[in-house]
Amino acid sequence: MAAVSQRPNRWPVALVIVLAVYAAIAGLLVSVLPVKDGVRDWFAPLVRGGWMAWTFPTAMFFLTIFLLLALMAVWEYARPGGNPRVGILRFETTRGDRLFISLLGSAFINLAWLGLVGTGQWWALALSLVYAFGVFKLV
Amino acid sequence: MEKTWNNKAWFMVLPVLVLVAFSAVIPLMTVVNYSVQDTFGNNEFFWAGTDWFTDVLESDRFWDALTRNLIFSAIILAIEIPLGILIALNMPKKGLGVPFCLVFMSLPLLIPWNVVGTIWQVFGRVDIGLLGYTLAALGIPYNYVNNVFDAWITLIVMDIWHWTSLVVLLCYAGLVSIPDAYYQAASIDGASRWAVFRYIQLPKMKRVLLIAFLLRFMDSFMIYTEPFVVTGGGPGNATTFLSIDLVKTAIGQFDLGPAAALSIIYFLIILLLSWIFYTVMTNSDAEN
Repeated sequence: MAAVSQRPNRWPVALVIVLAVYAAIAGLLVSVLPVKDGVRDWFAPLVRGGWMAWTFPTAMFFLTIFLLLALMAVWEYARPGGNPRVGILRFETTRGDRLFISLLGSAFINLAWLGLVGTGQWWALALSLVYAFGVFKLV
Repeated sequence: MEKTWNNKAWFMVLPVLVLVAFSAVIPLMTVVNYSVQDTFGNNEFFWAGTDWFTDVLESDRFWDALTRNLIFSAIILAIEIPLGILIALNMPKKGLGVPFCLVFMSLPLLIPWNVVGTIWQVFGRVDIGLLGYTLAALGIPYNYVNNVFDAWITLIVMDIWHWTSLVVLLCYAGLVSIPDAYYQAASIDGASRWAVFRYIQLPKMKRVLLIAFLLRFMDSFMIYTEPFVVTGGGPGNATTFLSIDLVKTAIGQFDLGPAAALSIIYFLIILLLSWIFYTVMTNSDAEN
């Protein structure tokens, strides 16, 4: 274990790199958005005629998922401790499991909000964040 | 003791990551992109936001198809799992009967799904099919084309015929891996047949049963080819499962936006239910 303790833990560098890459790609996406009469069209196709039909919101959605995965890696690098633990649901979960439960639950919170309330989807996102915090704290 | 840290092994999984990216992640991303847009073809897309999700969630068509899917999966799991265990328990463990039974059991699994559908579509026909004609000759009213109950029975029996073998083979693999010492100990203790099954065979089969349960649930929940060939989703919409509804929306009507939204909801339901089953079963396994 001596070799492990001698290795300098440069997690802030890793964190900055991850956030910088995220910001750079997000900036690149903003820069390719079409501008009409001086106003950016946030919902226009990023690649006109492209079969994958990328838009800024969907690209940011996947970019944020990748950011979360990268942040999990940085977290594990900074503070190793992703071993299973038993929470309020009475079964073992790792950090990765808790991220999966958070994302899956958030998807259903958003769907339920759409089906039951219909408007103000940002509230569903806020509720999902509270739910994810609860999952990471208690599950 | 010095521990060698070498993360280069992660590069070994790169080919798999690339493969998964092309086979799963990129199509999934495309579906997400389509689910928030509208298109009239020619790769021209217009932003629709969450409208398609709202439409799907508010449509009776979606909830009806989902209910049918859940009922179908529940029925076939309730029949195939116990039947598979029962057949596996009664299969020979030694002698010439073993290869015969294994080959016999594997046969339905080797038949392509559309061929299975065609076999049963012909088999059940009242005019030329062996089953339909025989039932009609016996005076039993049977017609899967216009009777909802008959259509469901045909699909359920077809699925049991096609897939129980998988459960049997998995359970058999679990059973033959139990050392004889367990049975000898049970015999010395004077354990009954039921006690041997309950306390030796069933716990030893638990892992393979978990796999069988998950595979059968996911397969039955995503079933498409066989009911499409046999009933085409009818009579009416009586056997229109989510997958058939999805194909009708995406290819029949070319409504890519609503179809993509339905796909994502469908995917999330399968993911949630599979995760619940897996967690519950592995958790109870760990407790034991």
